[in-house]
Amino acid sequence: MGNVVPNPPAPREFGRLNALGCWSYFRRGLLRFWRVSWTSILGACVSSGLLLVVFMIAGREGSLAAGLSIAEFVAPGVILFASSMMAFEGGATLMLEDKIEGTIADVLMAPLSTGEMLVGMVLPPVFNAVATGLAVFGVTLIFTDFSFSAPLLSFAFLILNALFFALVGALVGLWADKWDHYGGAQAFLMLPLGFLSGAFFSLDALPQIGKVLVYLNPLFHSVDAARFGLTGYGQSSALIGAVVLISLSVLLTIVLWRLVHSGYKVRP
Amino acid sequence: MSEHPISIESPRMREFGRVNWRGLWTLYQKEVRRFLNVYTQTLVAPVVTSLLFLAIFQLALGGGGRKVAGVDFSSFLVPGLIMMTMAQNAFANTSSSLVSAKVQGNIVDLLMPPLSPAEQALGLAGGGVTRGLMVGITVSLAMWVFVPYSLHAPLVSLYHAVMASLMLALLGVLGGIWAEKFDHIAAVTNFIITPFSFLSGTFYSIERLPPLGQTLAHLNPFFYMIDGFRYGFIGHSDTKVWLGMLVIAGVNLGLWLVVHWMLKTGYRLRS
Repeated sequence: MGNVVPNPPAPREFGRLNALGCWSYFRRGLLRFWRVSWTSILGACVSSGLLLVVFMIAGREGSLAAGLSIAEFVAPGVILFASSMMAFEGGATLMLEDKIEGTIADVLMAPLSTGEMLVGMVLPPVFNAVATGLAVFGVTLIFTDFSFSAPLLSFAFLILNALFFALVGALVGLWADKWDHYGGAQAFLMLPLGFLSGAFFSLDALPQIGKVLVYLNPLFHSVDAARFGLTGYGQSSALIGAVVLISLSVLLTIVLWRLVHSGYKVRP
Repeated sequence: MSEHPISIESPRMREFGRVNWRGLWTLYQKEVRRFLNVYTQTLVAPVVTSLLFLAIFQLALGGGGRKVAGVDFSSFLVPGLIMMTMAQNAFANTSSSLVSAKVQGNIVDLLMPPLSPAEQALGLAGGGVTRGLMVGITVSLAMWVFVPYSLHAPLVSLYHAVMASLMLALLGVLGGIWAEKFDHIAAVTNFIITPFSFLSGTFYSIERLPPLGQTLAHLNPFFYMIDGFRYGFIGHSDTKVWLGMLVIAGVNLGLWLVVHWMLKTGYRLRS
């Protein structure tokens, strides 16, 4: 009996796009979120619902702007706030977990182009964040009636906003070396952006300089457009919002593409 | 091979009296150093979060010189936010310490040393109380910059600060012993601690609630600690001050007994 020499497996062939590889990487990210979705999405629903209820009780007799009830005004803010936090968290933890546990090698070894890696890094958190936004939207329906003047516009901004914050998260995940760094970015970047965005208060309550600063916050534009779509009341224009979010997302995509391509922090 | 065997004295057992002070102190120090090591997350971040809460509530609801319980809305809000932050941090300290020790396997460092259940509970809870109070002091100072306040009855506030931190630290020990992974403790935080701390009068006077809500609030220990702590600041409380002090002492006693029993029997800790 001679030695059996196994044929080496032929390399899998694919065209210009490694569709199977890209899909696998994407699915891996999504499955990782959905393993804990019960606590994370439901947790977001509970804390968002609580925030809304607290605003409704504490400001029972008031109105924040243009005849909207407190609930109508705050609900879109709560939805976008929860979704942004989830997008950031997803984008950052997906990358950071791989780096810290060493499983980043699985991604680097796979025959994936930079663009395909970006898809797997950014789209799963976008999906998760949009799902969170929709779930929280469901919760807010218990407490308030929207007039739904342009619901598709709100949905479009939910997606755009998720994309932007997933990109921010992915960049932070790439940059961070340990969980401490991620915690710092969350506390000193995301929470200020999230809270000081006009999600919970009207721009009119601010002095001029504050208005300008909030206006520079991308989350303000998505909250404002989403609020316009749900209630018909907006403080800025959705067109400006779309331009701001799309151009910032394109910019971040380019930065992320270059960093991933150069192997920043992940290749020796 | 040596011809004359060297006799090695076996180390003598360390002796201590009824209380293993050194062991207790070591456990306490470990718990404190654990959070001081990541002070940006454990001391600075809570300050940022609570200031942001102050900002959004003041901007959204504090306009037009609005008064709650006879004081400005912001003066009403400050003690509530300080207490909420202390509570959340005291809970986070003990629960995360136990769960990460379980997940990483270094829980034996707590179980093997000659510490009695009471010493274990005291060391763990002491770390939680220390974090709660340190966060409380930092947040109080930071808020004072934006909303200067004076204290009406500082000792009442101090009592509630210590007792509330102890209560949440003990709850954290309880949760940490029960939980098997981080998901479990996240669920306890999301579905129990956050709702209780949000709905217990941090942001509003419970006079605003419907009668049923008021009754429920009076069954919630979080309500008494926030109410009593706030009394020390603004001199107004929704319920009797001595009643709140008694309730929270009773709750702490009950929690202590449960935690002591858990550590003694090794519930979910020893096989």
